[in-house]
Amino acid sequence: MAVSGYEGFNLTARTYQNAKDICHLPLLPAQWKALLALIGLLALIPVILPNDYFLLFFNVMALNALVVLGLNLLIGSTGQVSLGHAAFFGIGAYVSAIAGTTWQWPIFYSFLFALASVGLIGCLLALPTLRLEGHYLVMATLGFNIIVDILLNQMDDITGGPSGFPGIPQLSMGRLTIDSDLKFYIFIWTLFVVVFALTLNLTDSRMGRALKAIHEKELTAETLGIPCHRYKVAVFVLSALYAGLAGFCYAHYVTFISPKTFDIFYSVQVVTMVVVGGMGSLWGGLAGTMLLTSLPELLHQFEDWYVLSYGLILMGVLVFSPQGLVSALASLSRLRRAGPTQWQADGQAHGKPAAPASAKLRKKRRLAREVSPRGPKPEPLLRLVDVSVSFGGLQALNQVGMEVAAGEIVALIGPNGAGKTTVLNIICGLLKPDSGKVWIQGTPLVGSMPHRIAARGVGRTFQTVQIYQGFSVLENALLGSHISGHAGFLQACLHLPKERSEEAQLRARTGQLLEAFNLGGKADYPVQRLTLLEQKLLELARALALSPSVLLLDEPVGGLNPRESAVLVKHIEELRERGMGTILVEHDMNVVMRLADRVVVLQHGARIASGIPREVQRDPKVIAAYLGTRKAGEPPAGKQ
Amino acid sequence: MNWNLIPQFFVSGITNGSIYALIALGFCLIQNATGIVNFAQGDFVMLGAMIAISLHQVAHVPLPLALMIGILGTALVGIALQQGPVRHSRNRDILTLVMITIGASISFRGAAMLVWGKSSRILPPIGGDAPLFFLEAAIMPQTLWILAVSLMVLGLLYVFFHRTLLGKAMRAAADNPFGAALIGISVRRLVALAFALSGALGALAGILITPITSMSYEGGLMLGLKGFAGAILGGYGSTVGAVAGGLLLGILESFGAGFISSSYKDAIAFIVLLGILFLRPAGLFGSVRVRRL
Repeated sequence: MAVSGYEGFNLTARTYQNAKDICHLPLLPAQWKALLALIGLLALIPVILPNDYFLLFFNVMALNALVVLGLNLLIGSTGQVSLGHAAFFGIGAYVSAIAGTTWQWPIFYSFLFALASVGLIGCLLALPTLRLEGHYLVMATLGFNIIVDILLNQMDDITGGPSGFPGIPQLSMGRLTIDSDLKFYIFIWTLFVVVFALTLNLTDSRMGRALKAIHEKELTAETLGIPCHRYKVAVFVLSALYAGLAGFCYAHYVTFISPKTFDIFYSVQVVTMVVVGGMGSLWGGLAGTMLLTSLPELLHQFEDWYVLSYGLILMGVLVFSPQGLVSALASLSRLRRAGPTQWQADGQAHGKPAAPASAKLRKKRRLAREVSPRGPKPEPLLRLVDVSVSFGGLQALNQVGMEVAAGEIVALIGPNGAGKTTVLNIICGLLKPDSGKVWIQGTPLVGSMPHRIAARGVGRTFQTVQIYQGFSVLENALLGSHISGHAGFLQACLHLPKERSEEAQLRARTGQLLEAFNLGGKADYPVQRLTLLEQKLLELARALALSPSVLLLDEPVGGLNPRESAVLVKHIEELRERGMGTILVEHDMNVVMRLADRVVVLQHGARIASGIPREVQRDPKVIAAYLGTRKAGEPPAGKQ
Repeated sequence: MNWNLIPQFFVSGITNGSIYALIALGFCLIQNATGIVNFAQGDFVMLGAMIAISLHQVAHVPLPLALMIGILGTALVGIALQQGPVRHSRNRDILTLVMITIGASISFRGAAMLVWGKSSRILPPIGGDAPLFFLEAAIMPQTLWILAVSLMVLGLLYVFFHRTLLGKAMRAAADNPFGAALIGISVRRLVALAFALSGALGALAGILITPITSMSYEGGLMLGLKGFAGAILGGYGSTVGAVAGGLLLGILESFGAGFISSSYKDAIAFIVLLGILFLRPAGLFGSVRVRRL
């Protein structure tokens, strides 16, 4: 469906399959069958165990599961752990308790107020901390949890202090009051299943893919136009809201809260649940919650052993089975069922004959967006003026300028350490120059975030291939299409029909792009199965999915044999035909001489020569930079 | 507000600050050797003190010997943590390693609760408890001991890292483990040494502070976090920064508790921690790391 918009393409069975692979059910997640089984199981429990003690136990489990779900979302998408979720849980509970009891607000308003407070505080905490590299978030959230704990204990005129806060009203909607364990059981598990389904939907969407990509390689994601910081903060706030929601429900269920419930140890407990289930795995997290919530019930005569057993479980699982106990068991059983030959079957698909070259070329031309006419003196697409940057005492670039016009390949060459990659990093915003300007089509780029620069039409590939190991070939290329999509978090959570058809379109478009690079048959492969050439082609395809007007290629043929290199060179030539402006950093001089319209030579961060390849080849300064200076009187015919 | 209390605040700030500095140095050593934040650092503090207390009070080992065994024992615990869980982790991802130390921290705390119970314990102060007076500030002899021992340890560490081959090898391995391995330095052994030193520093801090504040199975958490806050304040990973940050934090905390409210004393360290993360994440003496691919 929705493929018809891209007429003229004879889609192979394979790509069509890809477009169909996605779940088209609005609102429901792809794993709706498993979800249905879960609902069935949950419905059975009150029938089998109609005892208030067990219901209380399952109610606590649901609250934990909600917090764990949020935490899992955070870990899965930012790779960072929060040890402050007990505090968000506590803020949700206390704010709603105070609003609903002390101030006598209606329950709906105290609910909104509690969530708004949690969201705001979460945002204030996340905005600065998530900018930092490293594991500051763990410490910041831990410190935050301690501050909240101290405040809850000390501000006893508002919170009741260590002795707790009694008399919180029970949840009620109209005439219905949730005043029994059974009613709360139905309420809380319904709520959980809904939130769980929405979260599953989120992970199975353009947004979910971007979040997973941020976890694996953040800077690469940034160069693909994904606003990493904004998404990370959004996910942190979302995850805090889950905990706040659980806190709200908890306060109005038990009607009495005290600070002890919200101390660091609860944060550690929920983190352990996530770890046991497998970090980033939503179903695993649910299983981990079920397992560890039962633990105190099983150990109830050894209360003093809780702390030690939690510590040992956390450490043991991380050491021996870092993907999580539950996930490890699940993959073990899957392996036994499917057997190791699973990949062999679809390995056949890729051997099909390539389309005739001319047809392929036409195909790609049609894909091109930005075809600038080759005028007499085209305005340069990209212009660098006097760019300088130094790292400590090392002047990495000194007043470097260059220009790239549409349909032009400018090779940037120079000995190792000359600053070539630094130029690329500055253009795509990963590095900020100390001085100098960069314009793309007249818009200044310096100071913009890399994802904005990518969205302005700068695509790049990397010296060492930066494809995502945890993704399939198609998903890797889809990351490049991220900026073409518009559906946000809410639409993704709800799997609205509009979002689903957008996803199908992105998949269809990306499938065609892969076809153009002969990767169509391998769309569903894990990227580890690609050869280096294919990985480089995939990276190029992914950069093209951004519909860039300028491509930055960092040693595209490095590590390839001459035959493979020729394939890549042909693709780059075809891109020039379509009007792409390209900066090519390359050491292979044959490739440079064949491809480049102009050459810029850098040495020690300064531009020592530029011009057409023939001239530059004969420039004595360039020869000196590459081969060293000759003694006076030696004949200048040394170059092969 | 009582202005003539200022010298007293200053003295107690410097005292606690020296302790935070020692703990911060422990964080710093492991950070530099492995790149991980060792959450169990605070529990080293607790273990050192608790071992010494038990030896002295239950087994009646003479105090100096009990203190030595407390320090050495905790150094061994540090080595065990590194040689066991940290080294054998299947996943070398930093996040996993950091979380392993969280697990270790919880385990130490849980085990300490089983062994020593939940009550606080105390060590007799060295040099008696008759205070000396200086500029209207009462100074306990223990305070002087804390300052003297901390200064001596800092001096020894400086000599170790700058004048001995082993210390220089550790700095080399911290700077570039791969390069160090290529010139024949056994990085793994140095990492174990870093854990041992961190354990010993933590234990020393615990032993020094216990006569003043007492110690319980969970006393390490707060001290460890404050040491970390000190390390961040000074610039994470910088040894000079760790010492300066620890001292500064102690003073800020003492003045904050004196002038604002002592019930929020513990919150001050974390407000400083959050503040520095927000305003100047590189700390006072650190440099911002350049993100690279």
